[in-house]
Amino acid sequence: MIATSIMTIDRKKIIADMSKIQIRGDAHGMIEGFNVFVTQLPAQFWNSFADRLVSKVDPAILGATEYLLVNAAHECGYHTGYGIITSQEWNAVVQPMVTNVPEDILHGAYAVFTAWGWANSEVVELIPGEKMVVRAYDYYEADVVNHGKSNRPSAYMIRGVSAAFMDLAYGGQYDPSGKTGLHTFKCEQTKGIECGDEYGEFVVTRA
Amino acid sequence: MLQATQEKLNLNHQFDAKRMRHYLNGQLSVLHCHHYASLYTQLAIDAKETDLLTRVSEETFHGVLANYFDKHNVESLDERIAIACEHYGAIGLGQMAVHHLGSDSGEVVLAHSHVDEGWMKKWGKFDQPVNFIGSGYIAGMFAAIWDKPISTFQVRETQSIVQGAPQSRFTVYKA
Repeated sequence: MIATSIMTIDRKKIIADMSKIQIRGDAHGMIEGFNVFVTQLPAQFWNSFADRLVSKVDPAILGATEYLLVNAAHECGYHTGYGIITSQEWNAVVQPMVTNVPEDILHGAYAVFTAWGWANSEVVELIPGEKMVVRAYDYYEADVVNHGKSNRPSAYMIRGVSAAFMDLAYGGQYDPSGKTGLHTFKCEQTKGIECGDEYGEFVVTRA
Repeated sequence: MLQATQEKLNLNHQFDAKRMRHYLNGQLSVLHCHHYASLYTQLAIDAKETDLLTRVSEETFHGVLANYFDKHNVESLDERIAIACEHYGAIGLGQMAVHHLGSDSGEVVLAHSHVDEGWMKKWGKFDQPVNFIGSGYIAGMFAAIWDKPISTFQVRETQSIVQGAPQSRFTVYKA
């Protein structure tokens, strides 16, 4: 079931190295990297907008709203993800550990995803080209619930990025226009810390 | 015109290796790209919830700046303005200058803007202002500078980089 017979990705080392990242805007107040512009905003900002929006919209368009929240991360994960796995930082730290392409790249990508604070997450099941299961043991999107359990999982960002990572791995050549390659996979959240589960679980399959 | 000309802002970055979370001045922070900001902004436009996006930004950054001023005993007007402008750039939102500021009104200019330039990088120019995140930041900034609660100030974007202007311009007035 696990595709990589010998794991060559040293997750601890990647996290130790990549988590040292410190960013500050340039003289123009801009942060450029990985072929994109970047911000470092309080997680509360992203959580609050998404949570309040899905809580107030007409139930008839709740599904469409959640799809668009996931899609924001899907496109972000596709383009920025490609920028990351072709970056100097990646080539210096992760690339030397990669022996099995693209499966090792996926494992390495989740180590970076963890190191840069999006979610403490890892791939727990991978059927090449078909299916990936990711577990997230801590993630900022779960912070929308402080007491009790939500009946609606809310890790839209992890869902979108996970689908994007599979697009990059098995969806064909990267397309900067996003017209091909993007949206070849979809992701469902089957467990959530915000729903009372021990961890978040994300299942990615062909779209 | 007051803007961030030298580093006055103390930006303290910490990484919690147990929870794998990054903090800036004690606030949980996350990196996101212009695709993410553009698509959130587009979603707010489509859902007719741009006021919500502005409101959330105002609440968030009013808290960030008010806490900073309090913690670091920043009391002078000039220093508060300089720090708020520098903070805007430090987190990657763009290059901000306060053209003028009074207790009832003011004007803010952006020479660079993540939201506008990111939108144009993704989709090109647009026929209406899109910087609701920046508008909220400015409203929260004015309130924090004057030790006032949120919703004290309203912000109207009168000129936009995304519409082809050389800089974005915001008029601020007491609600």
